[in-house]
Amino acid sequence: MFVSWNWISELVDTSGVDPKTFAERFTLSVAEIEAVVEVGAGLERVLVAEVVAVSPHPNADKLRLALCDLGDTRVQVVCGAPDLVVGMRVPFVPPGVTLPSGITVREGEVRGVASPGMLASEADLGLSEDNAGLLHLDGCDAAAGTPLLDAVPLRDVLYEIDNKSITHRPDLWGQYGMAREVAALLDRPLRTLPVHDLVFTQTPPLHVRISRHAHCRRYLCTRLEGITIAPSPVALRLRLRSLGVRPINNVVDATNLVMLETGNPLHAFDARRLAGHELTIRQAIEGETIRTLDGELRALAPSDCVITDAEAPVALAGIMGGADSEIRPDTVSVVLEAASFDGAAIRRTATRLGLRTDSSARFEKHLDPNTAHTAALRFCRVLLDLCPGAVISAGLLDVGPHIDAPPAPTCVHTTRSYLRSRLGLDDAQLSDDWMDRALTALAFVVDRVPGGGGDALRVTVPSFRAGRDVSIAEDLVEELGRVYGYDRIPSEAPSVAARPPFLPADRAQERQARACLALGRGLTEVVLYSFESEPFLQRLGLGEHDRDGQPLPRLGLANHLSSDQTHLRRVLSNNLLAAMEANLLHGNSAADGHKGLQIGLFELSRSFVPIRPDETDHPALDRGLPLALTDVTARDAYLAGLSPSLREGALSALETTQPLPWQPRRLAIALGERLGGGQEGLVQAPRAVSQRLFREAIGAVEALCRQLQRPAPICARLAEPGHLPRDLTATQGHVDLQPAWLHPARHAAVQVGDHFVGLVSLLHPEVRARLAVPAEVVLVELDLDALLAVPAVAEKGEAPPRFPPSAFDFTVPSRASTRAGVLRDALVRCGAAVAAITVDVDWVAAFEDAEATDDFERALTFRITCRKLDGSLTDDDVNLARQALLEGLLDHPDVRGGWAAAMIVHHQQS
Amino acid sequence: MSSESPAWQVDIDAAATAALAAVTEATDLAALREVEVAALGRKGSVTALMKRVGTLAKTERRAYGAAAGSLRQQVTAAIETQRDQIRAAAIAAELDDDTFDETLPGLNPARGHVHPLSRVRLELEEVFTSMGFSVLDYPEVESEFDNFEALNIPGWHPARDMQDTFWLKSGHLLRTHTSAGQVRAMHQFKPPFRAIFPGKVYRYESTDASHDHTFHQLEGLMIGRHVSVGHLLDSMRTLLSAIFKRDVQVRLRPGYFPFVEPGFELDISCQVCGGDGCSVCKQSGWVELLPCGLVHPNVLRAGGLDPDEWQGWAFGLGLSRLVMMRYGVSDIRLLLGGDARFVEGFHAGA
Ligand SMILES: [Zn+2]
Repeated sequence: MFVSWNWISELVDTSGVDPKTFAERFTLSVAEIEAVVEVGAGLERVLVAEVVAVSPHPNADKLRLALCDLGDTRVQVVCGAPDLVVGMRVPFVPPGVTLPSGITVREGEVRGVASPGMLASEADLGLSEDNAGLLHLDGCDAAAGTPLLDAVPLRDVLYEIDNKSITHRPDLWGQYGMAREVAALLDRPLRTLPVHDLVFTQTPPLHVRISRHAHCRRYLCTRLEGITIAPSPVALRLRLRSLGVRPINNVVDATNLVMLETGNPLHAFDARRLAGHELTIRQAIEGETIRTLDGELRALAPSDCVITDAEAPVALAGIMGGADSEIRPDTVSVVLEAASFDGAAIRRTATRLGLRTDSSARFEKHLDPNTAHTAALRFCRVLLDLCPGAVISAGLLDVGPHIDAPPAPTCVHTTRSYLRSRLGLDDAQLSDDWMDRALTALAFVVDRVPGGGGDALRVTVPSFRAGRDVSIAEDLVEELGRVYGYDRIPSEAPSVAARPPFLPADRAQERQARACLALGRGLTEVVLYSFESEPFLQRLGLGEHDRDGQPLPRLGLANHLSSDQTHLRRVLSNNLLAAMEANLLHGNSAADGHKGLQIGLFELSRSFVPIRPDETDHPALDRGLPLALTDVTARDAYLAGLSPSLREGALSALETTQPLPWQPRRLAIALGERLGGGQEGLVQAPRAVSQRLFREAIGAVEALCRQLQRPAPICARLAEPGHLPRDLTATQGHVDLQPAWLHPARHAAVQVGDHFVGLVSLLHPEVRARLAVPAEVVLVELDLDALLAVPAVAEKGEAPPRFPPSAFDFTVPSRASTRAGVLRDALVRCGAAVAAITVDVDWVAAFEDAEATDDFERALTFRITCRKLDGSLTDDDVNLARQALLEGLLDHPDVRGGWAAAMIVHHQQS
Repeated sequence: MSSESPAWQVDIDAAATAALAAVTEATDLAALREVEVAALGRKGSVTALMKRVGTLAKTERRAYGAAAGSLRQQVTAAIETQRDQIRAAAIAAELDDDTFDETLPGLNPARGHVHPLSRVRLELEEVFTSMGFSVLDYPEVESEFDNFEALNIPGWHPARDMQDTFWLKSGHLLRTHTSAGQVRAMHQFKPPFRAIFPGKVYRYESTDASHDHTFHQLEGLMIGRHVSVGHLLDSMRTLLSAIFKRDVQVRLRPGYFPFVEPGFELDISCQVCGGDGCSVCKQSGWVELLPCGLVHPNVLRAGGLDPDEWQGWAFGLGLSRLVMMRYGVSDIRLLLGGDARFVEGFHAGA
């Protein structure tokens, strides 16, 4: 959308105002100006030339020589334009002029013939993209040799407006509306738009019928006869051009000029090409088509609104006319349509057809039906000026719901003091008189409410601002503020009482978790999309299942942009595995200290789990509505304050909203290491790699628990698929127990306190084999909310032990399937029973005993550290502890029979 | 000394010669310690000679004792001297060492990387909490009511089109702005209060280098009495100066957002040229930063507040955009692309 300063200046006295300086004021008070364009700048030396002779170019078929009269001199230039004819008036550009396109015209030869200058097209002068022919100055009565800028109103300053900044202001889609703003800002009067003031005859031009569902609020039409189709005068053509509209002929140009001026699009039909004497505005019928002005045959849908004559659709309402009834060179009578269509309907159709026009762009903004009336009268005035032989041959028909039931004017009741206080201004800064003048300039009617002491006001909103734009006192605050200038409002420290901020604990904990994993564990944080890629899940055979192997429900999108985002993720680990795979393919080494191709990633985010409607006791239930509004009285009070259109939607939302899905915060970790090669369909990781990755993952979970001051995690295998480990006492949280990536033999369920908080698992070999890169990966999925629900362990400032500890190692012969944790737990239990001594047990190493001849081929070494708090350890103390521990292993099924007994004897002897 | 040396004198002399020779041959402290043990230790050669005193006749014991003692002293002194020499030589050699390479790269423990979105968000959270703002977190899957109706955006409104929305089959939607939390905050806290709620938001729109269907915002909301445009100006200037760590000028332009009235686009003085005009600010000296405004009375009512008693201001900061501005990220899709190499470019802590 462009604003023409020339045009504005015809409507407001802008003398003494520099449009380039004023642009900033306009931006701060009305709408964002994206660019200020100076049309005609640099063209001072361009002259009006009259072509007096045309001759062929001796060396080129497509070029000709034009002899031009420049008043006091004649020059011959080479010209390639096909439309060059003797007698035409065109712009002549002398050498040395730099055109808006950036080309500097030079004196020189073209194919061997001297050409001291050039004749210019519209594109050359920056008026349009049209480079097909010369700019015709027909109708320009300036003498040859006159400077072009003196001969035609070419010089102008244009504001290019950001359309987004005026979507809520239908009145600003015409120059007149913009002029009103300028008048208010300059505090100068706005001139009235000259309209046709003749009395219309009583005969209606045609019969018009508006169907009830046609989305047409007002339809005006009249008929003009005696038309002679001709090009518009050059000044009009230039004006249209500079605002981005292509001149066509006087009738079409008049409709466009009035549209640009008033903002209300018009349409002119060739009256002789309309069948019958009736126009109907109705919804299209399935299967109906129309050939629009652009030549396209368009299939219509019932949601489209069309204008039909007695036979067929003749216009796509508010968007584009039909080709059959368009204005042609032989048109002599015209039916003018000035209408007001519902914005949403026009937008739907324009979007559906991918057909955005100057007309649809304006109607979408929900135009004021009163503007259509002004536009109709203005058109008659403009066309009669352009086409003196024309006569208005029929009455002005004016029908529609807007006429049947005119809406009551919108009035806002407020007080001057309220308006001032919301801006932070006093009555010296914002006087009564200034307030009245500013609002009046914007076409508001300000009335003092009797008995209000001059403070209480009733402000009537002009119809072109009413309803959706201005309806409450706060809207008037904005009107006054922007005319006054927001930059003149003094800033003021708020008076809110200082109180300590409420900081939910989970924010700090999230921060600690992030620091622990990134800075403590060397992992790289990623933030991923909330959608799952179905193709990826299928390729790897991923998914979450319940105990019966049924897929767990996910939240599906009703609309999605690609097959990568049809569902919201229920877990984080799937996406993290996808990111891991991509990174392994890149061959990144994530952390500086890691060797080889190991990558460590983590993500902390929400996951999305559907809640069944009957799960009304779900601990995380969120109704998706303010609780207070479930109270009928509060709800009705809220609804009563809303405009009818908002009330309807709010009421329906309040009645139909379902509880939101559960959106727990999760934490996922992936550690991956690229492997060499791999057989077809089988990738095997060296045991040491798998074990190391797994231990690193467990270590990360342990570090996380420490950092968050939670009890140390207890890890154990699930008892059977989908069931918590038997020896864990945890209540099951919401982490799914059977993700497809779970390795049945290489995983651990993680219990913290008495909560099950998640899973750590190497990839299931079937999943691992489907990765696009041979790699071993361990995944961790934790329910952060469940973890943080475990009470924190209080930290104590204990004095360090004063007496040195004593340590010894046990190397225990055990089975290949023996879990180190099981033996460690047994030793810890025995150690706890030793009086007066504290015993710590740490796993040190595991190795294969090559000399073993029985099943006990796995040697596990533990370091036992004894400590006494109240004195030095004696040899007897240590022996006591050693004996107690060994006795605890005497009958342990995982320990070679006789080993503990032999050890006891050995130590008693030494 | 008499020429008639006693018979044991040979042994003493031999032991002295051997021990002193061994001392001289020891060129490091470990070897010297071995020599010391071999000579003076419990089973050492000199110790053994000293023990022999008991086997001699009484008359010889005194002389033998003196000789053996002297031998012991002699060897002890030689060891001490040798030790001092070895230490002095070693220190001198280390001080004189020209082979040490101080240019090898530093050794670093494994160090991970915090995502720049997290980092900037945490930094902003710190700034805001220091100024009395609560930090809140609200759902991403929202009701139509919280995301639209409560924010004064009726069904016909172009904003419902403009903010093309991801809808769930359940009838819910993915919030199109963090503003969806405004009414939640009003119900969670008794006014007056001030809060921010950062988070992920979603738009159903195709992506390019500057648009993604998922991005991050940070909503700010203040509710109090007699809140005016003047307060908004003051708060925004103070907050943005704290965020940019320098004095920032702000200006307000009319902007249209249904949940604020009046609504503004807020510009800040160009951080590149300081307001003089440059290519970043298109020579205007100002850069558009965020939308803001005074909370619309309908939103206050949906939040259970009486607009005659309470007012407020709100703003929505584009976190993703701020990250892109600060770190010169040319393609927004890098932020959520999951490529560790991108995140590894950021080294500072959380
Ligand atoms: Zn700048």
